[in-house]
Amino acid sequence: MTTELTIDEAARVRLWHRVNQFLFREARLLDEWRLVEWYDEMLTHDIRYSVPATDVRGEAPGALGLIDDDPARLRQRIEQLLNGEVWCENPRSRTNRMITNVEVLTDRGTHLDVAANVLVHRFGHGRSDAYVGKYRFELVADGESFRVRRRVVVLDHETLYEHGKLSIIL
Amino acid sequence: MTIELQRPVSDPIVLDDLERLSFRVDRRAYTDEDLAAQEITRIFDRCWLYVGHESEVPEPGSYVARDVGGRPVVMARGSDGVIRVFANSCTHRGALICSQPSGQARSFRCPYHDWTFSNRGDLVGVPLPDGYGPGFRKADFGLAQHRSDTYRGFVFTTFDPRQPRTLTEYLAGATEYLDLIDDQSEVGMEVIQGAQLHGARANWKLMMENSVDIYHFRALHKRYVGYMESLGSVPPRRRGGFGSALGLGHGANELPPAAARPLAYWTPMFGPEVRPRIEATAARFVDRFGPERAERITGTNRAVLIFPNLMIIDAIAITIRKIDPVGAGRMAITSVALAPKDEDPDIRELRKSHYLTFLGPAGFATPDDIEIVESCQRGYLNRTVRYSDLSRGMDKEVPETTDELPAREFWRQWDRLMHGDDGHVEVARRAEARGAEPR
Repeated sequence: MTTELTIDEAARVRLWHRVNQFLFREARLLDEWRLVEWYDEMLTHDIRYSVPATDVRGEAPGALGLIDDDPARLRQRIEQLLNGEVWCENPRSRTNRMITNVEVLTDRGTHLDVAANVLVHRFGHGRSDAYVGKYRFELVADGESFRVRRRVVVLDHETLYEHGKLSIIL
Repeated sequence: MTIELQRPVSDPIVLDDLERLSFRVDRRAYTDEDLAAQEITRIFDRCWLYVGHESEVPEPGSYVARDVGGRPVVMARGSDGVIRVFANSCTHRGALICSQPSGQARSFRCPYHDWTFSNRGDLVGVPLPDGYGPGFRKADFGLAQHRSDTYRGFVFTTFDPRQPRTLTEYLAGATEYLDLIDDQSEVGMEVIQGAQLHGARANWKLMMENSVDIYHFRALHKRYVGYMESLGSVPPRRRGGFGSALGLGHGANELPPAAARPLAYWTPMFGPEVRPRIEATAARFVDRFGPERAERITGTNRAVLIFPNLMIIDAIAITIRKIDPVGAGRMAITSVALAPKDEDPDIRELRKSHYLTFLGPAGFATPDDIEIVESCQRGYLNRTVRYSDLSRGMDKEVPETTDELPAREFWRQWDRLMHGDDGHVEVARRAEARGAEPR
């Protein structure tokens, strides 16, 4: 028996580590409101960012969700958040994203299917909210790192009765 | 037949002064837990309440389970095709007989003792029936069925066995607006799957007011207006249109569109590809309804408030918004999108996309509405400022949409009901005049 990794295992650990580093950097940029950097450096030009409705959770094709941003609308969302026009995010809320249970589900050559659990704490305007969900990302290679092409956040909440709104990027 | 009205003259909540053109609401209406409890018994237990749209139970056996007026109910289409509204509570010991939010079922089985009810509400199965005496009859233990009715696909129920009005009578002038919505498809309208279930830490009435308040639009929703302008749709500063009181607490605003409408009103923001299809649809509406009514259906935005807690907004998309009180200081909001069943798939995508831009907990407008009603609720903590003002347009014969007539209509009906005047008197008088027994 040997404790050394096989070449294949070592490659998978390296990949997993790179994916983790990518997700952690993304979380940090979002927490620090470095949204333009995030948009420019971590997303593809055809990014799609969606949050399905809490009742159908992305299981129903054709269903209405909570967010389904193409690049133009996501860019607009960011500009509004940064220039103070989003009344409910001015002053900016404080957020803390916890990323865990990171898995590379499949390596499709052209892209990776990545899953992770996410817990976003949000504090602002006298409120504290927690958003709990699952990341379902499609990552494409970009040099030594990646870019997100498909960014789906499936919330585990049955409803957002308590939160009321979703004014931050999850 | 005499019916005493309880109309305390001291300490009123709604101060409606037609001489001084002043309309004020005491802010206790939003904060007082006793008043919130009274609203349940005097308003939600008496009125016709919106349950859902018939497209949500499309086939025999389809059902949805949800809360209406604080009560868990099941809206089910029985195997006979009839839509009924039942109390979601076993007639044996009370457990929910349906804990799935929606689905298909021939029968509902209570998990506690396996009592089983057909989708028409009959008790059809009782385990170990020998344990009951000879007087026990299953027919006595069917699900409690609430009186319900449908107008143009919109299903309502009432918990008041003495509710004197039919649904159509209750809807009063609001029927005209439901017609304008249901007329948008020859094969019927449908709720798009995917509900936006959110809420606010504020009194439910603040969101009713907000939903018929056009005055706030340019101030609070600057970012949405800016986004629309970036797409080439510039809403005029004064848009015309009018607000109306539709009777019995219902009200509406109707105004020219600030942007495109997926049904049949094209502007550049929809892109050139769909233009011929949208214009062809518009032409079909002219054939079907004539130019005037076609213009009203396809080329006009509207928001209709149906007392007490239903809003239907028909603009860049159609949203049905059911707003439920959770005590004095909280509300639960259920928003869904309504669309023609036979909608072109590309236009359906446009509709959903533009719906999400404006509406819902992550749109470019609704989150600010949520935040502002919560801000009002916090502001009411300072009880030194006792009243809110809703007097805009009181001096006008035809108020503009930026006036507050629909909200005043809401509050006047609220005030009548909270004083125990639920319309029984008026309807009883009418029935007496016709020589008929009141229902």
